[in-house]
Amino acid sequence: MSDQPKPRVHLPRWREDFPIQWEDDHYVTRRELAKFLTLGSALLVAANGAIALAGRTHGHARSYAPKKIASADALGPGEWMLFRYPTDADPCILVRTRAGALVAFSQVCTHLSCAVVYRKTDDRLYCPCHEGLFECTEGRSGAQVLEGPPERPLPRIVLDVKDGAVFATGVAT
Amino acid sequence: MSLQLRKQATPVLTLVTVLVGVGVVIQLWLLSTSLEAVLAGDASLPIPATIVSAVVFLANLGLLAYVLRVDRRVSR
Repeated sequence: MSDQPKPRVHLPRWREDFPIQWEDDHYVTRRELAKFLTLGSALLVAANGAIALAGRTHGHARSYAPKKIASADALGPGEWMLFRYPTDADPCILVRTRAGALVAFSQVCTHLSCAVVYRKTDDRLYCPCHEGLFECTEGRSGAQVLEGPPERPLPRIVLDVKDGAVFATGVAT
Repeated sequence: MSLQLRKQATPVLTLVTVLVGVGVVIQLWLLSTSLEAVLAGDASLPIPATIVSAVVFLANLGLLAYVLRVDRRVSR
């Protein structure tokens, strides 16, 4: 048997990136994965920056064309009705609370967009999908989260009662 | 032989890839938090989140530079 050392094999660079043995293949794929993840990291910074910029222009209250949604005496205490505002793609809920206040909110749950319903027993807005609970009072810019996975309050629909009719005039966030 | 050196460098590369992956996960969390804050009307949170995300990216970039340095050494 020959004791001659084996000649060194210098592979071209492109050939080194397509190894046959598994261990060598792991090296190549992990190197490429590190590069790809770093690119993803750069994109995430850019996305975060874009959100920061968008946040500066995102208004707290937006006015839309007023829309009549009900007559002022349509609802008694503990009653509710649905309407759409500002567009037909925006479901909302109008509630006369047990205390007699007239309030309206977006019906789209801020967790995963299920439709919230009014729960007369405790005067709350309830999301049946994941047991989210929102308060249903006037005064704040939105219906605050009381329980469950939602993290943001329900946007309030700004109401104006005029000439015996209830008008929706804007959306507060 | 560069293929043998690669075998030795693979665990280091694995560790670096894991660290970069952790950084990306942190950035994803920062992104979702920023988005939630903006949708809730709080415009003050996204700016520090962007800064932290940029710092994590720079750390990832440093790790990638180390990977490329190792790769150059292995390829010689």
